[in-house]
Amino acid sequence: MPTILEELAETFREWGGDVPGESADPANSTVPNDAVEGRDDAVFRKARAVLQPGTLGFSAPVADHAALCESMAGRAAAALADDSAFDALAMRIHAAQRAANPILRRFWDASRGDPPADWRDIPPVPATAFRDIPIVSGTPEVVFRTSGTTGGGGRRGEHHVVSLDLYRAAARANYYRHLMSGAAQLRMLSLIPSPHNAPDSSLSTMAGCIAAEPEVTSAVWAFRPEDGADIDAVRNAAATEHPVLVLTTAFALVHLLDALGDERIQLPAGSRMMETGGFKGRAAEVDRATLYGRAEHALNIPRSCIINEYGMTELLSQAYDGVAGTAPPLPSRVHRFPPWVRTRALDPATLAPLPPGEPGLLAHFDLANAGSVCHILTEDFGHTTRDGGVRVLGRAKGATPRGCSLAAESFLRATGPAR
Amino acid sequence: MTAPRLFRIDAWHFPPEIPAPTAFEHIDAGALGVRYPESDHDLAQHLTSSLRNARATLAAMSTDEMITLLGSVGEHFPHTLDDDAIAEVAANSGLSRAMTRETLAGMAVSWNTRALDRLVRAEFPDPRVLDGFVNETDRAVRAAAPGITLHFGAGSVPGVTVTSMIRALLVRSPVLVKPGAGDAALTTRFARELHRADPRLAAAVAVHYWPGGAPAWQAWERELLTRADQVVIYGGNDTIESIRARAPASTRLIEHPHRLGVAIVDPHAAPGAAAEAARAISLFDQKGCVSTHLILLLGDRTEAHRWCGRLAEHLTRTAATLPAGSLTPGELSSLRQLRGRFAMRGAASGDVEIRSPESTDWTVVLAPPEQFEPVGGRTAWVVPISDREGCLEILAPLSPVLQTVGLVGVGDETVVPRCVCEKQPAGKAGIGEGRAVERVADRTGIGSFAEGLAALGVTRIVPLDEVPFPQPEWLHDGSRPLGELVRWCELRSPERA
Repeated sequence: MPTILEELAETFREWGGDVPGESADPANSTVPNDAVEGRDDAVFRKARAVLQPGTLGFSAPVADHAALCESMAGRAAAALADDSAFDALAMRIHAAQRAANPILRRFWDASRGDPPADWRDIPPVPATAFRDIPIVSGTPEVVFRTSGTTGGGGRRGEHHVVSLDLYRAAARANYYRHLMSGAAQLRMLSLIPSPHNAPDSSLSTMAGCIAAEPEVTSAVWAFRPEDGADIDAVRNAAATEHPVLVLTTAFALVHLLDALGDERIQLPAGSRMMETGGFKGRAAEVDRATLYGRAEHALNIPRSCIINEYGMTELLSQAYDGVAGTAPPLPSRVHRFPPWVRTRALDPATLAPLPPGEPGLLAHFDLANAGSVCHILTEDFGHTTRDGGVRVLGRAKGATPRGCSLAAESFLRATGPAR
Repeated sequence: MTAPRLFRIDAWHFPPEIPAPTAFEHIDAGALGVRYPESDHDLAQHLTSSLRNARATLAAMSTDEMITLLGSVGEHFPHTLDDDAIAEVAANSGLSRAMTRETLAGMAVSWNTRALDRLVRAEFPDPRVLDGFVNETDRAVRAAAPGITLHFGAGSVPGVTVTSMIRALLVRSPVLVKPGAGDAALTTRFARELHRADPRLAAAVAVHYWPGGAPAWQAWERELLTRADQVVIYGGNDTIESIRARAPASTRLIEHPHRLGVAIVDPHAAPGAAAEAARAISLFDQKGCVSTHLILLLGDRTEAHRWCGRLAEHLTRTAATLPAGSLTPGELSSLRQLRGRFAMRGAASGDVEIRSPESTDWTVVLAPPEQFEPVGGRTAWVVPISDREGCLEILAPLSPVLQTVGLVGVGDETVVPRCVCEKQPAGKAGIGEGRAVERVADRTGIGSFAEGLAALGVTRIVPLDEVPFPQPEWLHDGSRPLGELVRWCELRSPERA
């Protein structure tokens, strides 16, 4: 009998649409990493002692596991657009996570006395908690790690992923819809490090999945952390007749455009770009409209073909702000998650939900996180739209405490992360 | 989410001979709209030339006259702050109105004539050294004022920059002040009072807000850093490092980086310690360099658990009388992440407890010391510890950022006159004073413990209830508040030799 994770993966794949060919080949798309290395702090040790592999997880006996799987059988992910269907599945996953993970159970019990009436009542776990504790409801196959340590005690966040197959299914369903539409053949040019170079990066893993798509005739990894962008690889991409799918972080794109200077590279018609991520203090923050304008000018990719991906290591699903080729102008774009994700903006002072249009802290409930925890409180500000979209405004301003008292990051710089 | 703009102010005040600016920029600071002059190279030159010219006028004033003049302004200034002014300062700083009143009342104690006289005499037993050469046994000495002291003020504890201005003027140095965005309202008001009080002060005081470090202001800042004789900087590491990198070697930098306050509490000896700790945590909404963040509690975990309950009660009471100010969305986000993160840690390990109301008024964390990090927003970190000496081990990793340690029930600190509880730097004490350094710490019964704290870099060890508002003559961040502003000159003649 399939586990709920397998059922979810199948459901996500189903929503992915009329995808020709087979799913991504795991051997090509990821490099396995060590799920448990490198952490010896006390809280982490204690958490791991509680979360012994093999004693937890959805493949272990869970009270209503069989019923859960039965109810999932044949469910179309599109049906999850319906709130009651989403809620029913969310609550079942929540119950399974409660049963599987005593840390989450204690957290939820301490945060809220009454049982939740629906998924909205389930207290969200802060994204920074992924830096302290292995939040996992099962035995991890892989660990994704965040690239930055901002605001979390100087450590990288870790997402212990129970089912890589579920991650691929969740990621593929949405990137396929938004990035690969209308292209029979694509050449991939990635300014995101390859899975080989960044085996614990969820973004690199996703890039590896894209590289393995049947439409992708060739994949070139054109960015290495130590060398920067490989401009020759970008020039060579222009020599092909197939449209190019450029995958890049905003940071890498700025570096590429700076390196190109006045040079213009005519990528073939139909080329498109997925741009993601912020600048994380590593480069001067650039206005996105300016960045896209420069990219259009230098690479011959129309702005309507440049798509922003909103994702984070702590979430296994992603949102996109348009479909390549038909994306509207930036001011009118909103990000859209697949139907197995719900997003709310919460008042930061009270955590009360805010109506569409009012900005607050974004909290996501991602069913693809069934193997860890679904409800995540992020550090991002944004607002929802009436039609289910999300407008992401970025990190909240004023995150550094003002005054002459010591800010946490200055404290860590002064005292060192090895405390 | 966005607070309404309640007030708009002009964040500059120039000596009378400087023409009024005509082109402006704007910024929102708290709920206050702030207007300030555009960057202007000519203005930088005019301001510094004008202030430098005022130096001779200030030098002609005697120390007693300056104490009397500044003290009278300092005494009168709080009375000029009516409800509207308090509301303006509160909106600017983000503190509540009640907290703004409490803060200014505490600060103003150091601004009156008596306090300034105490300060000068504590540092210069013969204050005439500020007026001219004074004979000593084999030499004559004089404490000379620098030509211009440029101040980079901190942003959100109103009054800190006013104190800094007063100190520079006391030693007869003209001041050019860039207030922090959150302290522009009070600083500008105080400059106006100085201008009204005496034309000599008016010529020697300039206030000009600008967004420090902004690319458009780099040339302006370079010009001022070159033209100023010394720069007093209150700010974070980034601010200080940025100024260090751009100031010429000939410009003295007096740095007051962000610091951390710690309390060491023996609840058995001091049943009222929770109330004192709540006040030390709550004042300035924990945004002062003296603010207490970490509490080392002598006792076991069970006792610490009970004490945290009492602390929580007092934080609630304090929040009722001194309401918490507005937090920025980012600060709120940080607090939400912290609370959730530590609730998860508590669920994982059992040795972490977190208490907080539904509001963001305060947070109490009971956790092992290695997990400590300062967050602000009235967050108290309580660490149980079995004995006093163990505190040194816990504080050792925090050494680079330690400043104030407040004691409650630890040693017998109450028998020592509080103004001499601070450790005195022997190296400078003899200059111009001829005063012997007392080994006062021995009289507290905590001599060796205080030595250990001093070795870690702690610069102030005082009773916790006195932590929020240091006495005017107390050392400031390990230096003498006036001594760090002057340059000594000694005169040795052939006859003396």
